[in-house]
Amino acid sequence: MTTSTVPAHAAAPAPALAGTLARYWMCVRFLLRRNWLRLVIWVAVLAVMIPIVYTSQQEAFPTQADRDAYANVANTPAIAAMTGLPYAAGSLGGILVIKIWMTLAVALGLASTFLVTRNGRADEEQGRTELLRASALGRHAYSLANYTVVAGLSVTTGLLISLLALADKLPAAGSWVLGGSIAGVGLAFVGIAALCGQLGSTSRGANSLGVAVLAVFYLIRAIADVDAHDTNVTPLSWFSPIGWGQNMRPYARDSWWPFLALLALAAAGCALALRIEARRDLGMGLLPARPGPARATAFLASPLGLALRLQRATLISWLIGAVVAGLFFGSVAKAMTSVLDPSNSFAKAFLGGSQDMLNGILGTFVLFNGMLAAAFAVQSLSGARAEESGGRLESLLAGSLARTRWLGANLAVAAVGSAVMLLLGGWLMGASSNGAATGSGLALASFTYWPAVLLMLGLLLFLNGFLPRPGVSIAWAVYGVSVVIAMFGGLFSLSEQAIKATPFGAVPRLPAEDFTFLPVLALAAIAVVLAVLGMRRFATRDIMPE
Amino acid sequence: MSPNIPAIEVSGLRKHFGATTALDGLDLRVEKGTVAGFLGPNGSGKSTTIRILLGLLRPDGGTATLLGGDPWRDAVELHRRLAYVPGDVSLWPNLTGGQAIDILSRLRGGVDTNKRDQLLERFELDPTKKARSYSKGNRQKVALVAGLASNAELLVLDEPTSGLDPLMQEVFTDCIREVKAQGRSVLLSSHIFAEVEKLCDTVTIIRDGQTVEAGRLDELRHLHRTTVSVVLDRDASVLASVAGINQLVADGTKATFTVGEAELGGVLAALAAYSPRQLVSSPPSLEDLFLRHYGGAAKDAGAAPAQKAGVR
Repeated sequence: MTTSTVPAHAAAPAPALAGTLARYWMCVRFLLRRNWLRLVIWVAVLAVMIPIVYTSQQEAFPTQADRDAYANVANTPAIAAMTGLPYAAGSLGGILVIKIWMTLAVALGLASTFLVTRNGRADEEQGRTELLRASALGRHAYSLANYTVVAGLSVTTGLLISLLALADKLPAAGSWVLGGSIAGVGLAFVGIAALCGQLGSTSRGANSLGVAVLAVFYLIRAIADVDAHDTNVTPLSWFSPIGWGQNMRPYARDSWWPFLALLALAAAGCALALRIEARRDLGMGLLPARPGPARATAFLASPLGLALRLQRATLISWLIGAVVAGLFFGSVAKAMTSVLDPSNSFAKAFLGGSQDMLNGILGTFVLFNGMLAAAFAVQSLSGARAEESGGRLESLLAGSLARTRWLGANLAVAAVGSAVMLLLGGWLMGASSNGAATGSGLALASFTYWPAVLLMLGLLLFLNGFLPRPGVSIAWAVYGVSVVIAMFGGLFSLSEQAIKATPFGAVPRLPAEDFTFLPVLALAAIAVVLAVLGMRRFATRDIMPE
Repeated sequence: MSPNIPAIEVSGLRKHFGATTALDGLDLRVEKGTVAGFLGPNGSGKSTTIRILLGLLRPDGGTATLLGGDPWRDAVELHRRLAYVPGDVSLWPNLTGGQAIDILSRLRGGVDTNKRDQLLERFELDPTKKARSYSKGNRQKVALVAGLASNAELLVLDEPTSGLDPLMQEVFTDCIREVKAQGRSVLLSSHIFAEVEKLCDTVTIIRDGQTVEAGRLDELRHLHRTTVSVVLDRDASVLASVAGINQLVADGTKATFTVGEAELGGVLAALAAYSPRQLVSSPPSLEDLFLRHYGGAAKDAGAAPAQKAGVR
């Protein structure tokens, strides 16, 4: 006999398939039981979009003449990049696809990724898989059951979408392709997520990888659709499974064969994932968890450095959000003037009562910017409270660190971060508005909301001092009410004065209104008073982890 | 600072949380250069006392002095001179253990890199792993390395070894002996009697927020009775007539009883008349002292885990 350095388990023949799938159906039942509510919610939320969007589009484009007019202007780079090529904008089915197909396909892709990870890598990371495998369970039974159940979500969602489209009396062939194309993208991402769950060694890693792959595929097809001539796709579109789904073209070409490619990708992904699972140790991934730095820099060990590092992911994702929102708002502002009907009460509320439509729209978009920045600020500063309730603040304060200095550093990250968001989002909005406004003009208009953001921060500091436990929830509740009043106050027939008494309503709606100092100064003054009171209280109260 | 000022001096400390009384007139004294054990059942107020000493909680009454200063008013200054190791360590999940050690050390004043690296080796801790992947024991090691790597005058340790295996507990014991040899002071809250008996010069036992026993460990032993077991050549019940013998349990020729320190000589002389074949005398252990103060109800609940913890 020859000596071998090959590990014994690699040389051993694979057990018969039946053995590796023992108790498969039991796993399926268990997974359904564990996930049924999530599955039902996903299916319901996604499918119900069909009748909702269909009805709204039917109202927006009641006659064929309206739809033909829309078809002439629908093919803009922004629409192509975000939702795909409007190849059938002259029919209600085609309009439905423009408005909702991409959202549903991407959402189903994300749902598949998160669910596969939740029942796969996350369970393994938490040690639950070990417990299951220790029982008389085939090695692949649980994983395959996981893929089956999540694939079931795509199939059910697709079927329901088709049936709801048929119920709206849309053409039958197109309706089946509509459901099939969305389900196909979902299935493809079951295969991709299955692979990601084998590669990453943590659930966070598996999810990040899955979302990154989805983002890359989305981007590939966006570039392909922007580059398209008229509505003829470029070959690049075939390098993305989302592109395959789009190229089934419900209510136009109604082609089924890209669906086979999506199915093949799903099957290949799952098969490869099971193969990897057969060869690796439980708890390990193909991509090992990377070691981090053994030392902290002097900056990381300062209160500001630590706050920035802990808020890094939040900060970056909100900045990306501000960039995307700014570019989007800017690029659609002019087009919206032809869509809004100024006699409609919703439209009136949307414009904030402005007579000049373009400036009214811009004023509302700038308000959105302000609300986004305030949401970031509240979330970011809530991190400080999480440090206290999580027990980490105790260790920090046991060092030579003053409470106010620590909280001040966290406040600085939230305040400066929101200012950058406002300026950046506003500037991009102006710069991408095709001359409707200037970058610097809207940057300044956006920045007018900074005192309102500071007011939210001041409120959170005040609550953190006096009511630390429910503080964060109360701050979010106040934020929510302020947002609703600023946006829809007019619809609820709230008086002008009442709306002006709320944080976002108080700020002059530039560029639709003229700038006035008084409300901005008042907001800033209240913010400072609340912040000082909260800080002082925090400096003298008990530190209580939960 | 003059050498006769104690590292910690607490008297009549009171603290309420709403309707519950956490501390009800607690006293605690740690002399400079000594290791002080701080014992009490769960919920007796050990951690509350430590949090007050760290300036995290504000006392409702009584006085607390830490290194000659006011732990609340002078917190930032005093913390340059002390290191704290919590019992339940929570770390930032997406930072590495090494980063956490540096952050905690630098906030106190600075990092002694040599000492830090030596401790990492002694505690066998990988500093490049994210804290998310650490077990309870490894999280505890992070806090221990950060605390022990400092040259602080005073170490405040709140059940610092609760997640460590026996080998690592031994490393910890060595480290504390070194700290003591350098003339630094330690407040050690612990449930591990063997550890406290090995390391501590003085012991303070608290219950329901009050100090019930405090003093040098050897002196405390004097205050309590020695347990004696004997085997005689006749029925042991005859011992009932010997003056100074208490709590006698006789079973055939075997007997177990307790004797106060003052009566020990007389009892031994009287025993000689019964020609004992075997005699074992054991001084009161810390565990005996402790269980005595835990009282009836707590004795049943507390005895089993306490014994387990004490066994090495």
